[in-house]
Amino acid sequence: MLMEHWIMIAMWLFGFAGFILFIPRKDQRKGILAFLVLQAIIWLCDMITFAFGWQSAPVRLLPKATDMPLTLDYFFYPVLFAIYYVNKKSKGSLWPRFIYFFVWISVLSLFDIVIEKYTDLLEYELLKRNLMWIYFGFLFYVSHFCCNWFFKDKTLFQTERRWGT
Amino acid sequence: MRMEWWIIISVYVVATGILFFIPKNKIRLSIVAFLFKQLITFLIGLVVVELGLIEYPVRCFASVSRTSFSYEYYAFPVVCAAFNVWYPTNRSLLYRMGYYVGYCSVLTVIEVIIEKHTQLIKYIHWEWYITWISLCISFFIVHVFCLWFFAKERVSYM
Repeated sequence: MLMEHWIMIAMWLFGFAGFILFIPRKDQRKGILAFLVLQAIIWLCDMITFAFGWQSAPVRLLPKATDMPLTLDYFFYPVLFAIYYVNKKSKGSLWPRFIYFFVWISVLSLFDIVIEKYTDLLEYELLKRNLMWIYFGFLFYVSHFCCNWFFKDKTLFQTERRWGT
Repeated sequence: MRMEWWIIISVYVVATGILFFIPKNKIRLSIVAFLFKQLITFLIGLVVVELGLIEYPVRCFASVSRTSFSYEYYAFPVVCAAFNVWYPTNRSLLYRMGYYVGYCSVLTVIEVIIEKHTQLIKYIHWEWYITWISLCISFFIVHVFCLWFFAKERVSYM
């Protein structure tokens, strides 16, 4: 088996483990929503960047059906965003929150770059490394904004929660 | 322009039109239903194409994806959001089952007509009743998920 396949298996395992370990039970709904939001956004954005040939994924799951990296876009990055979103501090001054965001997207881009450089899971064509950092910043910022909107109005969320009970 | 592209455009228009009818106090419910449906359709849609059960000769993002982006990313999740927003929670069991049967049957009939007369979808090793059953199951899973997501205590899942 190729090293890439082992990495994909590891991503699924670590993804599940991370979701269970780093998302407290009381924040499960928050985590799942964050997961779904980033999944929807990254899927659309990557669909566009892949269609233009700015990135490619030579080794991937379901290679006949799609050219996109299913493991990363469908599962691994959404899980990381869910962990990011659930563990962020919503109160406090701007700087610590900004640093938290900054560190996350930097580590994530670094991870993406290492994957690109040493494996065939990803190849950048037009997207260069510093652009990747901006791309992740954009994805995280938009998803963060959407999730905040979803949870902003506690009272509204509570009334809607009564639906169906 | 080919007829298929007009159908795809009208699917986007109709689906967006449905969104405007969703009441304001159920926006969050519709979003959860929409997103959770995507989680299911992305994966199942890809697996079905990978196994060679269905083909989509005319499609959006044809160079990167062999599945129907319009249907799986947008149209079907929108229908699922509508399904959950107007779900008749307080009606009898028979009425609610009729609601499931109605949604699944309308979608299946549309798909079969499209399959027969256009190049948007081609059944290879597939039958209309598999579509019908899988629609029913996926509606049910999403409905249960939405009840769990918005419930404060234990609720009946039917």
